[in-house]
Amino acid sequence: MGVISTSSRDAVARPVMARVPLVKATILGAVVLLLVLLVVQPFGWVLFNSLHDDATGAWTLNNYARVVQSADLIEPLVNSLVLAAATALIAVGIGVPLAWLVSRTDLPFRRSIRVLTLTAFVTPSFIGATGWILLAAPNSGWLNTAWRWLAGEGAGAPLNIYSMAGAVFVCGIYTVPYSFTMVSSALDEMAVELEDAATTLGCGVLRTMVSITIPLAAPAVIASFILSFIQGLTLFGVPAFLLTPTGIPVVTTKLAEFYQLFPPEIYLAAAYCMPLLLVTGALFWMRRRYLGRKQYVTISGKTRAGRQIHLGAWRWPALFLALLLPTVAVFLPYAALLLVSLTRAWGLGLSWENLSLYWYWWAIFGNSETHTAIVNSLVYSTLGATLCVALGTLVAYIVERRMMPGASLLGAVATVPIIIPGIVLSVGFFAAYTRAPFNLYGTPLLLIAAFAATFLPIAYAHGGSILKGIGPELERAARSLGAGEARTFLAVTLPLMGGGLVSGWFLVFIPIIRELSVAVFLITPKTNVMTTLIYNAKDGGNYEAVCAMSVLLLLITLLLVAIARPLAGLTGARRTSRKTATAAGVPS
Amino acid sequence: MSGIRITNLRKSFGDYTALRGIDLQVPNGTLLALLGPSGCGKSTTLQLLAGFEAPTEGEIWADDTLLSSPRGVLPPEKRGISLVFQNYAVWPHKTVAENVAFGLTIRRLPKAEVAERLTRALRTVRLDPLRDRYPSELSGGQQQRVALARALVVEPSILLLDEPLSNLDAHLREEMRFEIRQVHDLLGITTVYVTHDQSEALVTADRIAVMQSGIVQQLGSPEEVFERPSNAFVAGFIGSNNTLAGTSEGEGAIRVGDHVLTAPDRSGAAKGGSVALCVRPSKVRLGGDGGLPCNSLPGTVVRSAYLGEHRDVLVDIGGDRTIRAFVPPEHRYGPGAATTVHLPIDACQILAPAA
Repeated sequence: MGVISTSSRDAVARPVMARVPLVKATILGAVVLLLVLLVVQPFGWVLFNSLHDDATGAWTLNNYARVVQSADLIEPLVNSLVLAAATALIAVGIGVPLAWLVSRTDLPFRRSIRVLTLTAFVTPSFIGATGWILLAAPNSGWLNTAWRWLAGEGAGAPLNIYSMAGAVFVCGIYTVPYSFTMVSSALDEMAVELEDAATTLGCGVLRTMVSITIPLAAPAVIASFILSFIQGLTLFGVPAFLLTPTGIPVVTTKLAEFYQLFPPEIYLAAAYCMPLLLVTGALFWMRRRYLGRKQYVTISGKTRAGRQIHLGAWRWPALFLALLLPTVAVFLPYAALLLVSLTRAWGLGLSWENLSLYWYWWAIFGNSETHTAIVNSLVYSTLGATLCVALGTLVAYIVERRMMPGASLLGAVATVPIIIPGIVLSVGFFAAYTRAPFNLYGTPLLLIAAFAATFLPIAYAHGGSILKGIGPELERAARSLGAGEARTFLAVTLPLMGGGLVSGWFLVFIPIIRELSVAVFLITPKTNVMTTLIYNAKDGGNYEAVCAMSVLLLLITLLLVAIARPLAGLTGARRTSRKTATAAGVPS
Repeated sequence: MSGIRITNLRKSFGDYTALRGIDLQVPNGTLLALLGPSGCGKSTTLQLLAGFEAPTEGEIWADDTLLSSPRGVLPPEKRGISLVFQNYAVWPHKTVAENVAFGLTIRRLPKAEVAERLTRALRTVRLDPLRDRYPSELSGGQQQRVALARALVVEPSILLLDEPLSNLDAHLREEMRFEIRQVHDLLGITTVYVTHDQSEALVTADRIAVMQSGIVQQLGSPEEVFERPSNAFVAGFIGSNNTLAGTSEGEGAIRVGDHVLTAPDRSGAAKGGSVALCVRPSKVRLGGDGGLPCNSLPGTVVRSAYLGEHRDVLVDIGGDRTIRAFVPPEHRYGPGAATTVHLPIDACQILAPAA
């Protein structure tokens, strides 16, 4: 046959082996290097800086001492924890029943509610906060005005968005989509047989729900609670918009303050990141421990349409409840933003003469700053998402197929950014790349790298879950037919990942394009992106421009989501019908 | 084509030892079945042969080429060993023709030759009319034939089959057994066939290696492993079998409870050593005087099942021991009936107990 290439005849013949092919070594090396540059290094700098004095630059533990001792540094921590806990309670309290209604009952307009919740998901929470400032600012807010109109001039202004309650409300409603998505997909993937088994044993609808469905969904509920908590803890835009004006500090806004001081207290800021990391790290550790013991989450059977619970007379009240979230998170703020963006000068009130598309024209063509930011946002998000997905997928592949010793360590490194709040990562990137030898300050590369690093855990986890569904035999078959590792990856693995990779790309692209806190310390006027521009313009009080840019950002994101959905499904139309897919070990 | 030589092959995964020293010779052109229960090490052996795992100790040779040793492993793509998987592993994103032609395109053969060999391979497995279908449009048996054609079209020097029929329904499985043997007779490729199904092994293989707990218990022709099993495990794993554990009373005699039974002895055990008496249920007779020189024991019928071609009777012979007998269907035994069990001496074997 001559297929076997070695043919040494002496007794001590050695197989051509152990030598790692050049291509593989290069790729592995590049992956390790990128992980060091994107994750290990910035994080290391935060740690290093936290141990140095801002004034003298000498080694010190003083920064930590100040964090623990001074009351004006402890107060923001307490506020942050309150905000986070309340956010998580709202997210789970609304998200879980909503998920159950949409996945398990015959609620009318289920699909529309899913889509609207997704719309809330792509809305950056600080833009939502802007909408709510228009709606519920202490006196001028429309809802307050409407209330006075209904209840009489003397009724006062019941709503004040510039308060802890206001911030909790806005953080909460924009975190609901996380718990909704996690729990509804757990409910969707749950094997119907598990519930049917209970039914055949004589359990009624309610009993089955209480003793089977809810316990099985519990891990997803808990995971979503923890994720929502972290979200509330690490958000920067909402507290900056709603709490800073009333002088309620939280950790993230306090961090930004250190940078704005003169001289900036950057090393103190680094130490002040540590309590946040401690809390997020502890939460993830708890989640791991909890999920580690409840391995059954992954025991999902064939995904079939579950039995629908008939709500009967409750259908319409349930719909009313289900529509509350879209109303407060989508309809009301969007309406406010849209209306303001369409007026030439908001102060002149609503009239036909005042209506115009001026501010859209201004944002897209008239103003070079906004024009640049729009282009930057699109370019950086595209490149950042591509880098992130490529790196995350490669790491997932190396880990899943155990391609090198210590592969699981790579996976751990790729997961670390999930516990690093965006603002801390921003601090780290600032420290790592604004000095020699990199000197990347003011370059697009700095932002692209920071974006990619922030969302690496999403890309890695997503890549891993696709790969888990592709049986290793599919690759081994190619190897045994003579294809090397690189060729196998390109000819078999990558095409099979196909649609999953596209959806993974959008899963990273969308949070990048709406990301604010990572960018906030890293931008320069030339590398401004839409989120930072909106943030800065809002400080300047130009609401018409802020609203027009916000609406543009939302439109761009929604447009891309609309494109993404059919694209992700397109790749596997004929070839991955369920029958082969399960035979070949590919998830359908 | 190449012969395979495996010497002292060991494989550990952490604390777990999957293979405890395997020696196997597969002469050029033969079909060897690796037969054993799950967890016996047969699949590990196959993964090592294919080059997906490195041995902890020992060597694998194909003729004069060292394929695997603890010092290194020739990568799978350089071995010229084709593999057919239990779940077929037919690529769902490629058509039948693309699946089968993959190995040929990797080898950068001229287009005309690829087309010609592809068509020949598809005809061999009768899939030519389905060449443009995607795997999702094929039945399990058809997918299995795609996998077989894909493995054979590259003319491998060695073919490995990993439980290739276990995902098919019973009827198709029986048919495919003969098909695999036919293909082997046609091409004569050295083949290693992993299975846990004894009848698959008996039908297809030239030689059978019975494995258990990481060791080859017996290597021999189908007739040898069935008729002259090397120990009680092999006797019990291949075909139906009665095993009576006891102690040796010197060569040719075994004490089972109160009885001393005689039989040809291949246990090699000294007096007092533990041994087992094995006898096939089809050789056991019930009632009367047995006719042949027999070990005869009194017993009570526990259960009797009518299976059409014979009757499967379970007899309690005391001391928590039972004997199964396949007797002609016209003999009727009710539960509780007293009877005599006759074990013809020539049909009994005294063997070493299961390892």
